[in-house]
Amino acid sequence: MNLRVVGANLVVSIKIFYREKTAMFFTTTFPILLILVFGTIFMDRDKVSFNLCVQDLDQTETSAEIAKTLALTGKFKITRVDPAIDATQYAKNNKVNIVLIIPKDYERSYTQYLQFDDPNAFVTITYVYDPSSSSVVAKMQILDMVFARMNQGLSGKPSFVRTAEISIHTREYRFVEFFIPGIIAMAVMTASLFGTVNVNTELRQKGIIRKLSTTPITHTDWILSNILYQFILAVISTTAMLVVSYAVFDVKLRINAWLPLFIVLDVFTFVGIGMILTRIVKEAQSATAAANAIMFPMMFLSGSFFPLEMMPGFLQKFARTLPLYYVNEGLRASMVFNDNLTALSYSAIIGTFAAMVFIVGIMATKWEEGT
Amino acid sequence: MTTEVEHAIEVENLKKLYGNLVAVDDISFNVRQGEVFAFLGPNGAGKTTTVEIVDTIRRPTSGKVRVLGMDVRKEKRDIVPRIGVLPQGFSSFDRITVRETMQYYSRLFCLRNADIDGLMDLVNLKDKAKEQYMKLSGGLKQRLGIAIALVNNPEVVFLDEPTTGLDPRARREVWEVLLGLKKEGKTVFLTTHYMEEAELLADTVAIISRGKIIAMDSPAQLIESNADNLVLTLHPVDEKAFEVVWKMGFEPVLNNHKNINVRVERTDDIRKILNALKDAGASLLSMDVRKPNLEQVFLKLTGEALNDGASGEKGVE
Ligand SMILES: Nc1ncnc2c1ncn2[C@@H]1O[C@H](COP(=O)(O)OP(=O)(O)O)[C@@H](O)[C@H]1O
Ligand SMILES: [Mg+2]
Repeated sequence: MNLRVVGANLVVSIKIFYREKTAMFFTTTFPILLILVFGTIFMDRDKVSFNLCVQDLDQTETSAEIAKTLALTGKFKITRVDPAIDATQYAKNNKVNIVLIIPKDYERSYTQYLQFDDPNAFVTITYVYDPSSSSVVAKMQILDMVFARMNQGLSGKPSFVRTAEISIHTREYRFVEFFIPGIIAMAVMTASLFGTVNVNTELRQKGIIRKLSTTPITHTDWILSNILYQFILAVISTTAMLVVSYAVFDVKLRINAWLPLFIVLDVFTFVGIGMILTRIVKEAQSATAAANAIMFPMMFLSGSFFPLEMMPGFLQKFARTLPLYYVNEGLRASMVFNDNLTALSYSAIIGTFAAMVFIVGIMATKWEEGT
Repeated sequence: MTTEVEHAIEVENLKKLYGNLVAVDDISFNVRQGEVFAFLGPNGAGKTTTVEIVDTIRRPTSGKVRVLGMDVRKEKRDIVPRIGVLPQGFSSFDRITVRETMQYYSRLFCLRNADIDGLMDLVNLKDKAKEQYMKLSGGLKQRLGIAIALVNNPEVVFLDEPTTGLDPRARREVWEVLLGLKKEGKTVFLTTHYMEEAELLADTVAIISRGKIIAMDSPAQLIESNADNLVLTLHPVDEKAFEVVWKMGFEPVLNNHKNINVRVERTDDIRKILNALKDAGASLLSMDVRKPNLEQVFLKLTGEALNDGASGEKGVE
């Protein structure tokens, strides 16, 4: 190994990276865009609150209680509708999918029910709704639940069966926080795999590899400088993604030694796979196609973008055969869930795999043509 | 510099097979210290295969190859710092400038004091030092390739078709650089399919065809020993002339400019051919008679024309 030679390679690679604008885009701008787009889409996932329009025809203190109770559940943002206008027309005009109408005489019927214990005293609350809207069912279910509890409360007895919600995570995580480790793992994979495949096939086609084989540079120097270069790129893009995540989405992630470790393993794994691919697939175009064929299943089936629990069982099992899965889940374990044990076991799995692929990759890299 | 070995390159019974294809068929030759040695032959003759075995890029199937007294199979690591190579169709990193490229290769050889400016001067690239490789013309790219091949001040330089694909002016500029090397006394192993190039630069020319060396000598000697005839070149208007000459029992060969070359033994034959053409009404735009050059030597020895690789035309026998 010769550090001067490794340094010379790094200088050239970084200059090319800096001068080649598409490479810059795919390692920094693209992952940041992904985080911005997906982060914005899923920002509200963790605190669901529905819009609800309420038209109070009674206009009494008692009827106002209903709107307050609904707001207190935390599930609704209440908009008041002028009692003078037609609710159906209002819903149509304002593209509102549900309007809840509190009838006139609400207070009178309520007093009658409570004071005179009149079983015939009741009120009807009307939902004016648009059945073609997808969220309306969820809203009506929540409303039914709230009203059922109210009725129960009025009947005087405390309910016997109660429910409580306890998250298994000590701290509630937000979806954006869950999503970011997946994007980091994916961005590093993409850069390492394509970087290796592109550089190697291009240099081979240009005959630079043949030229290099007549200089004192060794395979070890060459591969080492590639790995270092990819690691530098990974650090740049990870830093960029984290800065954006903190600045825009105010995420709270744990950043410790696990992060660089998983990034190194991610780099080794996919540089290794890239080296094997370049050996097997000679044509530059087919090599890119092969890299795509490896990358897309990894991206979508290893749980980079969404929790694996959302997928059918056989796909969950399949995900566990993908190397990127262990980087995703290992990074999440350390950055989101503070679960060092899982991080440790997953780093061991991906570490073993990385070592194997990388050794095969080194053996597959050949400079002399023919036999 | 090592002076113990008389021969910079020694090749003995070299054979190279690609599957069943015999690319290099049992050839032997030596290259003396300080000489320019040229492999002259058409595309597919086995030039690149041979030169890349000697400069350690490829491995021989069998035979003995020594560079500066060292075995190419076993002593690659010791050979590499002492040779300089311009591979066929050389290219470099698109977005790296001329000077940066030179610096890169000099660092690969771990040289602290490579004379990068002197080399850029030698190949006339000084005013292009800050130009990115992709912006250079074909001739400049080749000259940079030659400068890179010289960056470690090698004892033996390998140049595989250094002027192929260049226009005549760019080619002449590369030749000037190579003549400079020759004056410096560097050992150069050159391959080419341009006979002018071999004739101009080489001390020794080996004519190679289908993996075999069929003649090897100085250009003058090669011409001398094969100059038992004259070459009549006809530039005809139509195809009639070819037929006329053919029917007379000569062996006309069409070359790449649609000229007809005919080998004749006596000046009397020339008179006969011209008369026959006149009788047949086949008119000529021009004609000339020459003593043979390497092109005709090649033609005589192989029965094939040494055509420009790009045009891909074959001689008609
Ligand atoms: N790597 C290779 N694999 C298989 N055949 C090859 C390879 N390189 C060259 N050949 C074949 O060997 C012969 C000699 O090729 P080459 O040495 O490139 O000739 P030249 O340099 O004189 O044009 C040709 O028929 C060519 O097709
Ligand atoms: Mg060749």
